[in-house]
Amino acid sequence: MSLARLAAVLFAGVVACVVAHGEVAGASGQASLLDRVNRVESSIAALAVGPQTVKFNRDVRPILSEHCFKCHGPDEKKRKGGLRLDLRDAAIEALAPGNAGASEVMKRVTTHDLEDRMPPADAKTTLTPEQIETLRTWIAEGARYEAHWAFIKPERPAVPTVAQTAWPRNPIDNFVLARLETHKVAPSQEADRRTLIRRAYLDLIGMPPAPEAVNAFLNDPSSDAYEKMIDGLLASEHFGERWGRHWLDAARYADSDGYGIDNPRPIWKYREWVINAFNTDMPFDQFTTKQLAGDMLPDGTRDDVVATGFHRNTMFNGEGGVDPEEFRIVSIIDRVNTTGSVFLGLTMGCAQCHTHKYDPITQKEYYQFFAFFNNDDEINIDLPKPEQEEELKVARANVAEAQRTLNAYINDVENYLLAQWEQSLPTETRATFVASVQQGLMLPFKERHPDQEKAIREIFFKDDPEYAWRRADVSAAQSKVPWVPESMVLRKRTQPRDTFIHIKGDFTQHGEKVTPGVLAVLNEPAPSDAPNRLDLAKWIVDPSNPLTARVAVNRMWQELFGRGIVETENDFGTQGTPPANPDLLDWLATEFVRDGWHMKSMIRLMVTSATYRQSSTMRPDLLQIDPQNRLLARQSRLRLEAEILRDSALTASGLMNHTIGGPSVYPPQPDGIMKQQKVGRSWTVSTGPDRYRRGMYTFFWRASPHPSLVLFDAPDANMACTRRNRSNTPLQALTLLNEESCVEQADALAKRIVTEQPDDVRARIARAFELCLGREPRDFEVNTLMALLEKERALAPDEQSAWKSVARVMLNLDEFITRE
Amino acid sequence: MNCGHSITERDALLNVTRRHFFQQCGYGLGALALGGLLGTTASAERITAENPLAPKQGHFPARAKNVIFLFMAGGPSQLELYDYKPKLQELNGQPVPQSFMEGKRFAFMDSFLKEPPKLLGTVRKFKQHGQSGAWVSECLPHIAEIVDDISFIHTLATDQPNHAPAKIFLNTGSAQFGSPAMGAWVTYGIGSEANDLPGFVVLQSGFRGIRGGAANWANGFLPSAHQGVPLRNSGDPILNLATPQDYTDERQRNVIDAVNAINGDHLDLVGDPEVAARIASYEMAYRMQSSAPELMDLSKESPETLAMYGVEPGKPSFAYNCILARRLVERGVRFVQAYHTSWDHHGGNTENLTNSLDDVTKDVDQASAALIKDLKQRGLLDETLVIWGGEFGRTPMGEIRDTVGRNHHIECSSIWMAGGGVKAGYAHGKTDELGFSPIEDRVHVNDFHATMLHLLGIDHTRLTYRFKGRDFRLTDVAGNVVHKLLV
Repeated sequence: MSLARLAAVLFAGVVACVVAHGEVAGASGQASLLDRVNRVESSIAALAVGPQTVKFNRDVRPILSEHCFKCHGPDEKKRKGGLRLDLRDAAIEALAPGNAGASEVMKRVTTHDLEDRMPPADAKTTLTPEQIETLRTWIAEGARYEAHWAFIKPERPAVPTVAQTAWPRNPIDNFVLARLETHKVAPSQEADRRTLIRRAYLDLIGMPPAPEAVNAFLNDPSSDAYEKMIDGLLASEHFGERWGRHWLDAARYADSDGYGIDNPRPIWKYREWVINAFNTDMPFDQFTTKQLAGDMLPDGTRDDVVATGFHRNTMFNGEGGVDPEEFRIVSIIDRVNTTGSVFLGLTMGCAQCHTHKYDPITQKEYYQFFAFFNNDDEINIDLPKPEQEEELKVARANVAEAQRTLNAYINDVENYLLAQWEQSLPTETRATFVASVQQGLMLPFKERHPDQEKAIREIFFKDDPEYAWRRADVSAAQSKVPWVPESMVLRKRTQPRDTFIHIKGDFTQHGEKVTPGVLAVLNEPAPSDAPNRLDLAKWIVDPSNPLTARVAVNRMWQELFGRGIVETENDFGTQGTPPANPDLLDWLATEFVRDGWHMKSMIRLMVTSATYRQSSTMRPDLLQIDPQNRLLARQSRLRLEAEILRDSALTASGLMNHTIGGPSVYPPQPDGIMKQQKVGRSWTVSTGPDRYRRGMYTFFWRASPHPSLVLFDAPDANMACTRRNRSNTPLQALTLLNEESCVEQADALAKRIVTEQPDDVRARIARAFELCLGREPRDFEVNTLMALLEKERALAPDEQSAWKSVARVMLNLDEFITRE
Repeated sequence: MNCGHSITERDALLNVTRRHFFQQCGYGLGALALGGLLGTTASAERITAENPLAPKQGHFPARAKNVIFLFMAGGPSQLELYDYKPKLQELNGQPVPQSFMEGKRFAFMDSFLKEPPKLLGTVRKFKQHGQSGAWVSECLPHIAEIVDDISFIHTLATDQPNHAPAKIFLNTGSAQFGSPAMGAWVTYGIGSEANDLPGFVVLQSGFRGIRGGAANWANGFLPSAHQGVPLRNSGDPILNLATPQDYTDERQRNVIDAVNAINGDHLDLVGDPEVAARIASYEMAYRMQSSAPELMDLSKESPETLAMYGVEPGKPSFAYNCILARRLVERGVRFVQAYHTSWDHHGGNTENLTNSLDDVTKDVDQASAALIKDLKQRGLLDETLVIWGGEFGRTPMGEIRDTVGRNHHIECSSIWMAGGGVKAGYAHGKTDELGFSPIEDRVHVNDFHATMLHLLGIDHTRLTYRFKGRDFRLTDVAGNVVHKLLV
């Protein structure tokens, strides 16, 4: 195998972005599916376009990006015929602006001569007649270019006026309603209060409301009852858990190393840091800076250093025989790509092996970015409580002393005792040693291989009493060292490393030497003699950065509405989807910065909008014109995330342990899970209150994650995840029906309703609905459950078990596992 | 990985009409009489859902319907099993010619510095077998009997010299964790014909678990429905399959009926196709509760069949997994992967090329051959592609640990394929006389994937999924179908 070939796939995944675009997903059976998607997309686009003329970013760039840039774009090496279409100056001759009839580009896309026709046959993409017309109009109108929207700093748009002035509650609604009015679509009515409080609880703290909270809200006559309820949730410490978990997806948080060995790792203190940051409403610029460079802040605290755990969440390969440098590089590449996708919404990974084919990111820039992360040591720091510090110091000193004594003894042995022992060894004893040791014993000390020497010493010390008691001293001293949590962090190296371009992404093939630097297409960095990680962080959160605020608000929006304003939340580049409502996105982004990057305020703005408060019920008219809810004429129904499913059932059943933070725990899981990875790990089920902690505290082994998490689409933590799937599978049904924890929760819920409503069957059912769904049951539901109870009373071993069936039904309902 | 980027696709899936749902979904909802349950016509018109695992047409007619991949985890030594090198035996103990080492990457490279490696000839006896005259060593007497039904590839090359990345690479076409496994790609492309079982099933046996664990059968960025489902050989065959302790089948059915009735009522109210899909999921879950135990129950297998595989009833083993694999494809499961571990023969006391190798070959030889014979007898071999191999090969030079073993080797390994449109009695590719490198018909992992997909009726360049702004493939940007292997 050639090294070039190896290089091409070595780090893989992000390697080469030259897969023919425009080929639709899947086998031919799915062509019709994509046709449907395209029809929907174009009908929405048509709604949006109206009678205006062609716009480059909206209409033309997607065509060029999809069909032309691969060979006529930024990547010099792949450029064909010397033609570059992504810059007007370079393309002007071929375009002939204002004269489509004379345009070589038009000639090439319309010719019937297959030799000359663009895109060429082997590109496997074709332009539709509509796309060709768009190009013609654009060229006829002067072929005006615009920079890609996302690379231009957002300007705060004016809040649009609307006809239905009574509807908007804040500017978000004006932006949404303006579009709805253009398309003559009415917004949905506000959801009822029961739905609203359940939605807000699940979205903001990740647990359903208690019946008392629901009643208080229902009975609050004040005009700002909703806002008060929201403010209460934002002030709850569980808010940090709920939103911290979203962030941990992006941070690829896990409790183990990954790869084959998958050792456990101390990183839960970073999780605590994230929870606290949300709870204290740390502004997003600080939140970002601390995670990228908390160790380098001039007045940094120990907590700021813990924040750098963000980039210690990379995997680590502890397998024998690996080249440590290779996997150090793999980690840095992950840091670059994660920084790109999480903060900037860019697919930087495409530039690892070659200049990006679609976005203006050169390979050199990729390695300049890489250089920011190439100058760190990966260390663990101790995090004693203040009162532990002195005790720790003394105990550590004692260990050092005992170790020093032991070492002194070992050194003595080398010169004297060992030689004596060797001479006294009987031949028959020697014969029992492995061959390499026997050979070593025949050599003078100096000629022995270090491995031989080590093996010989081990044999000697094994039976040496003095060694044994000195060793015991060390152990005793060690046992007195108090346990203190540690955490994985980054520390800037004193000796910086050199960084080179890796030719074709192969770390063994060095190209040009580079120094740290940011992406030229975005904002100017502040001047610096030797830019470092802190400068990178400052550049990312500089208000002039066109991406950071947009990407951040877009993800908050995504969590609350089920889809980002930019649907491709990790790709704001030219291949990403354009924003469904660009003015709304830019208003939110500028508002976020203007308000001091406060995430709580931004989330509050979103959840207090009329847009958020709409009913999620599917309307027949919307099913026709906007089934994907891009216009936001309703809320979306969202299946709860894996952890929140657990939290909801623990809450409804009354089992929940509300403790915040701390090391990860081990709730029940089916036997055998820990055997599916190479190194068998134990899973000793937590007893007592730890058995009932929130889902986010379940110990996450990368090689064998808890099946309930995986089955309900929790990310695998192998790379940054900025959006979760929401799947719907039979294995999920089996889990909710039969998993030990789920059955235990049902049992507890049954006991709870029976105890709380001792006398009346209907009251018990009503109580179950209050606890699980925050509402009263409908007649059909009562009748169904009464009928079930009758059948179950005849079959179940006892009354409790019959009620358990009712409880199991409640915890399996679609409504229970859905945020309406 | 469950990091999702399929919103458009999923939404579109849900936009299928209800009529389509009944015709194609394969959820078997007919018996449930969804219409009756849901009541009004208005709601019935709104109900839409589709099973993401429903069988789909490929790009062209398939040669193989299903795949069984017998994965020998650790890297079986081709030089002890299939790739006969008399010259290597002749030069046993000689230093490796420098020309063979230059520019190559090996695991444990640092150990070479201590002691320059020497060539290692095998002590295993090789013989030619069958009409095809294929060389197979004494380690695999049963596989030697089926050489006329299979095709060897002696030149499979990978990019990854370490276990976990190499396994991930062979399984996903990418060494970076987070990509979909080939079984996930296949069910994404053409679905599965199994109504009551998952479309991609993973079986495990051997002395330890798999390096990389669940990442080897992950759905990656594909929808989670394509995740490989491990069938367990003790306890419940599928996670959480057993009803809770005090529940009979009837009681479980009562619970599911009530769940689905109330969900149906809710569907009327909210009109979300997801609710219809949920009802279907609960029905399939219920069916799996009987179909999976039926699958695992070997009591209807004849004593001759059990003896042919070497299955001891009730004892988990590779042989048991082989017979399960046949039963799975009989039931329409699209992709079965049966792992067997501990093929990493470096020369340590428990990983030597003598008795440690015997342990694993004895564990798999008879059952691997029996699977081919059994499929053939039942007329299933033509439509089932069987693959036997591991993540990389092993070096022609010895590695000295407690005894002499072999190191990881990425340049070439020997695997075999059978059935499903693959030639019978054929050997593809040649390595040099010492077994260092392919000299003829090199097959890269990407080519192997392309060929496997081709046999399933899928054009590997057209099976794509858009993620992070580009269209990903199992074969990334490479891969050529190995036409010489095809019938």
